Amino acid sequence: MGASIGGTDEYNSEINVTPMVDVMLVLLIIFMIVTPLLQQGVTVNLPKDMNTPEEDSEITKDTSVVISIPNNTDFYIGKDQFPLTALGEKIQSMMKDKAPDKRIVYIKSGVEVDYGRVVEAIDTIRKQDIDKIGLVADKKKGGESPQK
Amino acid sequence: MAMTSAGSGAVPRINVTPLIDVLLVLLIIFMVITPVKPSRFEAKVPAEPKDQQNLDVKPNPLTLVVSINSATRAISLNNEAAGDVTDASALTGKLAEIFKTRETNGVFREGTNEVEKTIFIKSPTTVKYGDVVKVIDAAKMAGAQPIGLQIDDLTQ
Repeated sequence: MGASIGGTDEYNSEINVTPMVDVMLVLLIIFMIVTPLLQQGVTVNLPKDMNTPEEDSEITKDTSVVISIPNNTDFYIGKDQFPLTALGEKIQSMMKDKAPDKRIVYIKSGVEVDYGRVVEAIDTIRKQDIDKIGLVADKKKGGESPQK
Repeated sequence: MAMTSAGSGAVPRINVTPLIDVLLVLLIIFMVITPVKPSRFEAKVPAEPKDQQNLDVKPNPLTLVVSINSATRAISLNNEAAGDVTDASALTGKLAEIFKTRETNGVFREGTNEVEKTIFIKSPTTVKYGDVVKVIDAAKMAGAQPIGLQIDDLTQ
């Protein structure tokens, strides 16, 4: 009696978690691989919790020009360091294939950097006949939208 | 016989619950770390002053200039005090008020039928970039567009 219950007729009420674990592991590995790839250029202490910056997927594109200013001494384009004097040439060569309305240079500057350094970079950008600058900043989650 | 098989045949099943817990937590951590969509402020830079000495440039009376004091971190709007960097909401309020009166009075940008909402930001070079961005943020909150960065003849 007891043997027949325990052996053959009892349904196994446990969920089969193996496929779930498989999916989880795959997702985990995907995220682990993708996360370092998404971070481009050097690490910069960007301004955080801003209310009004517009989202712009162009920033992370390989073709867009992003100048990073992590501290008061260095300028980077992508992952390469450039002296201020060489920035202009580099920007010019990166921009030459772009349509005039796409000519925007993004600046990722740390909050502790002196505005003067940023101005030096902007001045260099301006010398390449580019008048649009994108100041990269982190948007506050659920930030208020600007008044219309 | 049947009894012994039920008793000794312990199924060697691994308890996967803690494993799933750990995996879920890791998964969530990585999902959170994954950067949110990048965003930026668009700013314009006035053209480089070339041989403009002979140009007869008419100053625009509608231009709003926001400046920052490097020592006190105070913000001023057209030389009028408008709060300071730590709390820029005063600037937002003032600008919003100005834009509102302009909208009701129909003050348009020259040659267009858009309300003139251009502002310029003038900051000494020693001010921290973070403070300047805060001011830009506050100005955009009020609806200022376009925002110009004055980068010539800045003081220390």
